[in-house]
Amino acid sequence: MQQLRNTPFHERTSALCQPQNWRKWAGYYVVGSYEHTIDREYWAIRNSAALIDVTPLMKYMIKGKDAANLLDRVTTRNIHKMSVGQVYYTAWCDDEGKMIDDGTVARLDETTFRLTSAEPNLRWLMMNAVGFDVHISEVSDSVASLSLQGPNSRSVLKRVCESDVEGLKYFRLMKNKLGGVEVTISRTGYTGDLGYEIWMEAKDALKVWDALMEAGQDYGITPVGILALDMTRVEAGLFMLDVDYTSASHAWIEAQKSSPFELGLDWTVALDKPGYFVGRKALEKEKKEGSSWKMVGIEIDWVGMEALYAEVGLPPQVPGTAVRASMPIMVGNVQVGYASTASWSPLLKKYIALAHLEKPYYELGTDVRMEITVEHHRKHAPAKVVKLPFYEPEWKKK
Amino acid sequence: MTTNNYDAIIIGGGHNGLVAAAYLARAGKKVVVLERRDMVGGATITEEIIPGFKFTEFSYVVSLLRPEIIRDLKLPQHGLKILPLPSTFTPMDNGDYIAGWDDHDTTRREIYRHSPKDAEAYDEYGRRMARLAKAIKPILSILPPDPTSLHPKDLMGLLKLGQFASSLTEKELYGLAKIMTQSAADMLEEWFETPALLGTKSASGIIGTFLGPRSPSTAYVLLHHYMGEIDGAFRAWGFAKGGTGGIAEAIASSARAFGSEIRLNATVKQVIVKGGRAVGVALENGDEIYAKAVLSSADPFVTFLKLVEAKHLPDDLIHSIQKFRTRGSSGKVNIALSELPRFTALPDQNVLHRGAVSISPSIDYIERAYDDAKYGRFAKEPYIDMIFPSMIDPDMAPPGKHVMSCFVQYAPYDIEGGWDDAKREAFGESVISTTERYAPNIRRPTLGKQVITPADIENITGITGGNIFHGELLLHQLFFMRPATQWAGFRTPINGYYLAGSGAHPGGGIMGSPGKFAAELALKDGI
Amino acid sequence: MKTYDTIIIGAGHNGLVAAAYLAKKGKKVLVLERRDMVGGQVVTESFGENFKVDSLHAGGTLRPDIIKHLNLASHGLVVDTVRKPFISLQADSKHLVFDADPAKAAESIKRFSEKDAANWIPFLDFMNKVSRFVHSANAAIMPRLPKGFNASEGMALAKLGINVRMLGGKNMMRIIRGIPMTADEFVDEWFESDIVKAAVASLGLHGFTLGAFGAGTGYTLMHNWANRGGMSHVSVQGGIGKISEALAGAVRLLGGEIRTNAEVKKVVIKDMRASGVVLSNGEEISSGNVISAADPKHTFLSLVGAMELPPEFVWNVQSIKMRGSVAKVHLLTDGKHGIPDGTVVVAPSIKYLEKAYDAAKYHQISEKPYLEVTTSGNVVSIHFQFAAYKLKSGDWKTEGAKVEKIAMDTLAEYFPDLKPSIVNRKVLTPLDLETTYGLTEGDLNHGQLMLDQFMFMRPIPGWSNHRTPIDNLYLCGSGVHGGGGVSGASGRNVVKVLK
Repeated sequence: MQQLRNTPFHERTSALCQPQNWRKWAGYYVVGSYEHTIDREYWAIRNSAALIDVTPLMKYMIKGKDAANLLDRVTTRNIHKMSVGQVYYTAWCDDEGKMIDDGTVARLDETTFRLTSAEPNLRWLMMNAVGFDVHISEVSDSVASLSLQGPNSRSVLKRVCESDVEGLKYFRLMKNKLGGVEVTISRTGYTGDLGYEIWMEAKDALKVWDALMEAGQDYGITPVGILALDMTRVEAGLFMLDVDYTSASHAWIEAQKSSPFELGLDWTVALDKPGYFVGRKALEKEKKEGSSWKMVGIEIDWVGMEALYAEVGLPPQVPGTAVRASMPIMVGNVQVGYASTASWSPLLKKYIALAHLEKPYYELGTDVRMEITVEHHRKHAPAKVVKLPFYEPEWKKK
Repeated sequence: MTTNNYDAIIIGGGHNGLVAAAYLARAGKKVVVLERRDMVGGATITEEIIPGFKFTEFSYVVSLLRPEIIRDLKLPQHGLKILPLPSTFTPMDNGDYIAGWDDHDTTRREIYRHSPKDAEAYDEYGRRMARLAKAIKPILSILPPDPTSLHPKDLMGLLKLGQFASSLTEKELYGLAKIMTQSAADMLEEWFETPALLGTKSASGIIGTFLGPRSPSTAYVLLHHYMGEIDGAFRAWGFAKGGTGGIAEAIASSARAFGSEIRLNATVKQVIVKGGRAVGVALENGDEIYAKAVLSSADPFVTFLKLVEAKHLPDDLIHSIQKFRTRGSSGKVNIALSELPRFTALPDQNVLHRGAVSISPSIDYIERAYDDAKYGRFAKEPYIDMIFPSMIDPDMAPPGKHVMSCFVQYAPYDIEGGWDDAKREAFGESVISTTERYAPNIRRPTLGKQVITPADIENITGITGGNIFHGELLLHQLFFMRPATQWAGFRTPINGYYLAGSGAHPGGGIMGSPGKFAAELALKDGI
Repeated sequence: MKTYDTIIIGAGHNGLVAAAYLAKKGKKVLVLERRDMVGGQVVTESFGENFKVDSLHAGGTLRPDIIKHLNLASHGLVVDTVRKPFISLQADSKHLVFDADPAKAAESIKRFSEKDAANWIPFLDFMNKVSRFVHSANAAIMPRLPKGFNASEGMALAKLGINVRMLGGKNMMRIIRGIPMTADEFVDEWFESDIVKAAVASLGLHGFTLGAFGAGTGYTLMHNWANRGGMSHVSVQGGIGKISEALAGAVRLLGGEIRTNAEVKKVVIKDMRASGVVLSNGEEISSGNVISAADPKHTFLSLVGAMELPPEFVWNVQSIKMRGSVAKVHLLTDGKHGIPDGTVVVAPSIKYLEKAYDAAKYHQISEKPYLEVTTSGNVVSIHFQFAAYKLKSGDWKTEGAKVEKIAMDTLAEYFPDLKPSIVNRKVLTPLDLETTYGLTEGDLNHGQLMLDQFMFMRPIPGWSNHRTPIDNLYLCGSGVHGGGGVSGASGRNVVKVLK
């Protein structure tokens, strides 16, 4: 019988995972947290260097004369503007302009790209590739990946890499050698901090892990599970498929679908690029008419929340991890949206959430209230629409 | 002997007859069920053919039994338990296999092993089918109108149908139109490339039909597999505790608890019609029983052409029922085993024995089995849907021993030269020898077997042609054309006479809807 | 550079009908034809000395209103009014002859079944109603469902509804029920003799890759019956090519332009809008609209290109079932072939027809084929089914000889004089249909007329109204609703939706 897979780092990660906290991610087991509480892991991301196994990401290699043409057709970005060594974050939509998935496109050379995604997309890519001179292969299992995040991540890499990473700019990538192994390093991540993602052959995985752990010892390198990652991505204002939006190909009903505009990705939709791309007509229309929903950040007013707890004689309580549940958001007695992920930010000392609000309530500064449960009773805590991301250190892009 | 104090007589103690009886009794009516055999269940029975081994003789799995029937009739209190069938395992000719589980990630990994493209298509296909199943579900509970009639009830029915159609999105509407008309093979080949996956999926389009996977309109039946899922009541296919006989017994027990009488060994010879109204029935033993209404859960052929005299019915209806297609195409082979068969593809595993085993290596394999049948032969290498009831419910066989239930297609009712013992034996042998290709030890542990041909189905259960759905699920035999145009609403041209079997909308399978609909109509008509 | 209001790709009958109607409206039209002659499938060609043949279709008529509107009689079109008999060959030479005179036909049927003979005239009566239904259905443009149709399309559909209702409730239901039936079930409603049933049912298979037990052959039977106006073909004086010549004449007279030897290579698309075409010699011609009379698969995947189209649309186009399985064997004889005049078929039993189809299912050539034979003087034309376009083994460069041999051997049983009478021959394989006549996969119908590919599902769901995802690009071939047969309905209908 088929089993779910372990990642190529399993030998190391399983030895370190104290609470046996394993999560299923795209057919793999990955560590939820390495310790019984996730505080230390969270702070490693924000203060030192965190090593996260992100192998389960779906990875596709797209090669050939028409590789750029294909990606230009599938995604909303203008792929022809990409230079070799550049990485784009992008969404892709169905022809009704509703998002199917999001991920990164890396241009490895003139005719070779690597696409990452949350869900399997091979079929969609192949459906779109009819008539193109292109070869698509899935490399999810053969390419392992580690995310090294945190303010010290550069220092760790500088110590262990053959070529200097100093000049590697935000959303760029380079070939390098690490622990004697060929790797690709991209300055990308899912934490909103300084960080890198390291891509290697699965067979080299342990060598790279060991080299990084050794080199990082003096910089506080810490293996981090996906629960801490989840908190930081909320602070960074980054959303997640199946949590903050539903893929158009999974949705049961139209209302479950989202457009890139509705998720705040206006900057990724290159309506000025020439010719057909998937969803173009619908996106042009939405751009013209305006979106009826927007994803925004909200900050729950601490004093207001404290008061609700005080009513029953309790101090305010905040969850220890990011909460992936739908929480109604009200204006007056009318529900105007919902929060899809909420999290306590240990750094900002704020209770924050990614929220989806109807027009016109998504404007910055709008006062809303979010449902919270206080001692089994539903209450509405005052909150305010704020700009995303909640947290962006100056060194993120520097 | 004459009795005449019943509100309703139900002809046939199959699951639909029993459902009708339970609903009527529940409404306070005095009801009697008349069953020809010495046991209830019809084609929904479990019998101990070999001592200690319980065979689900005919129907063997359940998916569509309406949750509201389970609730209304309190069936769980009467012993109904539907146990999961968690997997499907298809051995392949090269010694490998392909399987699906009820866990998404595991199944994806398994299919990925054969084709990454299929692994994704599998998910997407599943979602589309589930959405279509959701879209079409309301149809199953709409009483079919007569589109040629200007009667207010039919116009209302058409209006409802129109509202239903306009409630669908463009994708749903076209999706439904396509799935109603396409062949299972054409539809699946748009999605998948792995032969054994195609074979296994296409098989669910032909179960109970006299059609091959390449015959247009077989795709529709594939949808049925996704209906159960969206009810949230249970997932896909299940196996009833005690076999399907357990379902019949639970409904019978519920009917009795509501006050219904059930008479066994009571063969109805004719429905007594007076002044255009059904007033009772005459039994073969000469007894006459009178009632305000008669509900027949027999098939349309028996209901209209055998139980009532032709003079009571319009010629059109008689002509339609004569042409109503009820060609049986499947048989059953039930086997008592001293140990489980060992499949070459997975010799040391028996987790998969808890689910279904499908002998369906490719679409062409099944299509060729169909070719045999359409020219009047049983398939030499048939499609087999195998389960091991004793692996799901240990009470089905003595400890350490097993029963194996094989649904086999194709075996035509109209076999060249007619069915006889030699052909039955050869048909049984074809199942054993086909299974042997994938599980070479099958002969050794075989303690005994029961082979059921379509002719046997007709003889034992009384279903014309031995068709497990009381009439094939063909496009022109569905909805407002089931069983005949203008007479698709369970009512018949004879007042007080109702069709309550699978030959009425929405059709076959252990669903119970025809019995429920007919009972509700009879109540509405004020019996 | 010259510009046109509309460019029409392909000078088949539908392309020419569309061109003529547009020209009549005063539009500047240009028809571009790949071959050196107009007509597409509706051609009479010479394959040698005294060897002139209706290459693909032994007969057929344009819809009478089209003939009238375009004044085709003045361009030399004469439709034969004499309907010759339809003959189903029997081993004992006592053939079943469906004469155009119903009483005579009934007389012949009587030899096989008294009951069937008695049913013949009521059946003809019913089939006449069926024909009215088919023609009015083909005259209506199929709108996009469920909400996407405009007033004129809605009107056409409403009219269809009224027409159907006027056939009477019983007939209406009978037709509706008949559509998804198999040819076997359809004829079984009327007849009991297997020989009679098979002869009638063969119409449901003619030109299609479906068997007598295939759901939907009830509809194709009705479709072919309606197009022929009965069981046998009505031939055109001077050959079927006269239809195309008359249409071309009408186009030119109305001011339209027709260019032969002008193969379109690409439709020019800018910003998802068609603005002209490029020919294979590199010449670019611009126009306001482009109408493709080519089949939808060729139109979208080759002329437009998948990269210009939405992925789901492309997938649907790829899924269009073409599946040609017709081959033609044309023979020039010394005149002593011994074959009677009329439409002669080898369709001895329902199971024979089904078995012939089984071969196509498995990508083979029928060993015992369904044949339809017509003669014109010394020329014998054999329509052969089934010869699968995609062969499991062998290829069509060599298998043409096999088709000829099987056809000859089959007919030799009935007409021993045929073989020795042969002077010259021409076999058209499914591959020839593709390469010579531009029919993808050799499908005469530009897409099988199956239940999931007809009416508002034709050519693909959501695009049954001649429009395409490319603005200003329209379809008018047999692959759209109205198509299949020589009626010209599709060419007529496209003109109504053109901007």
